[in-house]
Amino acid sequence: MVTILAVLAAVYPILPSNGEPFSELGVLGPGQKIGGYPTSVTVSQGFNLYVYVGNHEGGAEYYQVLVKEGNQGTVVSNSTFASLPAVQINSLVLGDNSSTIFPVSLSMSTAGLNQRLIFELWMFNSTADNFAYTGLWAQIWMNVTSS
Amino acid sequence: MKFALLTVAVVSLMLMSTPAASAAGNASFSGTSSAVQSAFVAVQTAGKDGGNTTSLVTQLNTALALVQKASTENSTNPAQAAADLQSALSIAQGVQAFAAGVDRQGIAARQLQFEVSIVSAVVIVGIAVALYVYGDRMYRRLWLRVYGGHVVKKVG
Repeated sequence: MVTILAVLAAVYPILPSNGEPFSELGVLGPGQKIGGYPTSVTVSQGFNLYVYVGNHEGGAEYYQVLVKEGNQGTVVSNSTFASLPAVQINSLVLGDNSSTIFPVSLSMSTAGLNQRLIFELWMFNSTADNFAYTGLWAQIWMNVTSS
Repeated sequence: MKFALLTVAVVSLMLMSTPAASAAGNASFSGTSSAVQSAFVAVQTAGKDGGNTTSLVTQLNTALALVQKASTENSTNPAQAAADLQSALSIAQGVQAFAAGVDRQGIAARQLQFEVSIVSAVVIVGIAVALYVYGDRMYRRLWLRVYGGHVVKKVG
């Protein structure tokens, strides 16, 4: 038994990792915490949020966080990204098992009830040589009034 | 005469290169993005081969921040934007060049780790087999050496 454990300990560093790779995306409020999100803003009124991105893919990854301005009718899911132009693109590279929080300064351009800011995480696919939607997204609902 | 011709040639080259430089500045967004992507692929490969890419990732993020800065200041200060793009391009190219060395170091370190692990496992198994085969005999010999001269004394 001792021999088996000792051999396992010796070869453990060269065993391939069998963990499920994943990435993380989160939107934090102005205090860098979950909560305190703006719920009512006027058009062009600036506000600050924070975005959390984590990498557990087993290697360095090149991410883009796309911010899109949508409404109740905007379709977005784990398999479909919102068919809207990005109002902001934040690019970053993360090493394996690392994460970052960065600030984003945003404003809404369209007035209306139940408007939403959609955050999508895209990842660079070196085989296809382009960015691909990871299926991770987050949103913030807000009422936008004319200024 | 030769000096005059040389001066004219140098001035002509400078005049010709000025518009080319600004054109390069306009085209640098896509060129720099491509350079960053290529550098990232090199860094990712080096990391998967076991290289330590922490500092390279930091440099890539510096390049990306410069591209982002250039993007925001391009309409108000194109000269500064072009300079930032040039810096980002230099960083990306440097990262890509350095990543090749990190990749080689990673491969070498991984090979060494593999060899150390295999040799350790073989040594452990060898010691276990030796103990199994000769352990009993060795224990008896050792016991005899330690207690061989022991004389049992009558008590009382």
